[in-house]
Amino acid sequence: MGFSGNLKDFPFPDILQVIAREKKNGILLVEWKDLIVAYYIKNGQIIFARPIDKITRVYTEQNFPELLRKLRVKEEVIPKILEKYLLNRLDQREGIFSLIFGFIKYRSDEKAPIPIEQIILEASRKLTPMEVRRKISDDMLTFMITPEGKEVVKNLKLTPVEEKVLELIDGHRTVEDIRRELFPTPPIEINRALYGLWSAGIIKRVRRGKRHKPEGLTVDILKRIIEKVKEL
Amino acid sequence: MLGLLKKELLKRDNKKKIKILISGPFAAGKTQFIKTISEIEPLTTEKKTTKDKEKSVKDFTTVAMDFGKITIDDEHELYLFGTPGQSRFDFMWDILGKGALGIIVLVDSTNPQTFHEARQIINFFESNYPVPMVVGANKQDLPDAWPPEMIKAALNLDTEDIPVIPVVATDKESVKNALLTLLQEIYKEFG
Repeated sequence: MGFSGNLKDFPFPDILQVIAREKKNGILLVEWKDLIVAYYIKNGQIIFARPIDKITRVYTEQNFPELLRKLRVKEEVIPKILEKYLLNRLDQREGIFSLIFGFIKYRSDEKAPIPIEQIILEASRKLTPMEVRRKISDDMLTFMITPEGKEVVKNLKLTPVEEKVLELIDGHRTVEDIRRELFPTPPIEINRALYGLWSAGIIKRVRRGKRHKPEGLTVDILKRIIEKVKEL
Repeated sequence: MLGLLKKELLKRDNKKKIKILISGPFAAGKTQFIKTISEIEPLTTEKKTTKDKEKSVKDFTTVAMDFGKITIDDEHELYLFGTPGQSRFDFMWDILGKGALGIIVLVDSTNPQTFHEARQIINFFESNYPVPMVVGANKQDLPDAWPPEMIKAALNLDTEDIPVIPVVATDKESVKNALLTLLQEIYKEFG
């Protein structure tokens, strides 16, 4: 099971968001303009990156500890590798990605050198105004901090704007309110922060107000509609 | 075509109309969804697609709305309104959203480049017309379809009470299932 797409239409924070939420093992393959990189995923975290000449290599070399031995990669250099092949490429848009879950065999003790939520925030900081508008598309959007978000954020390095935005998230303030309160911070920076925090699962959307019961709608009518649709 | 639609709406004035909205990005399968379940031949406002990118996907597109109907009993009719998919027609979301009982947002599961449009539609209705909503991951019969649980994660719906269900808009049982899921959500909310 997996999925594929184009980085122009489906930017990095959104791919990482799916990886983080699914919490599975697998490989993210990105065919960049200049090279192909395999990103190794363990429990929804990116733990390693490796440029490859042939895509088939990731299928033939499924044992991760063995692969590290073969490549002579020491644990302490992995953050540098991730920086080179992932963080430094987050502003690039030309590339095809495919995500395949399963098949990689890990030990139990490999750890992610950079939390995926941090990478999501970094990637969100590089989004264009048009890309940001795809997610922060309504000024009336309202957010609250998730229970997990409170814990996750303790291990992240936020920018001053992200910190200020997070302080204002209370389940009541709209995007418009936050922009007004943080004036003269540029709206794009605020929107990027919201994009990143939302994609990283630190905040979530809340519905503004209660859903209104349509006039004249009774339980009896609802039951009749349900019965009718079942009969179709 | 709009004249026909107006005539249809006016001649049924004595019946109570219950409105459900079928929304979603361009080419998500909204018109087909309504065609599959409506008891009348749906009234559509389709025009030839003009933009090159859109022409490569389909020849005709909805520019105002689609309209289908299911008669519930002598006093009630369920109206299905399909919104146009392209965001340049988003003023119609506002017009059609008023008074809706619930919304089904269809997504083309094979086309991740349209997911952000689906997200914008969900944001719009959640902010402006907060009614029960279901996301239908359409085209699940195609080999490269994203599974519903991944679409749920991609649309930031994993922490919300909006179900994402598999849909094949050409299959009547699948369309019925989507409608019933929405109706159950409405029942949970207001029943």
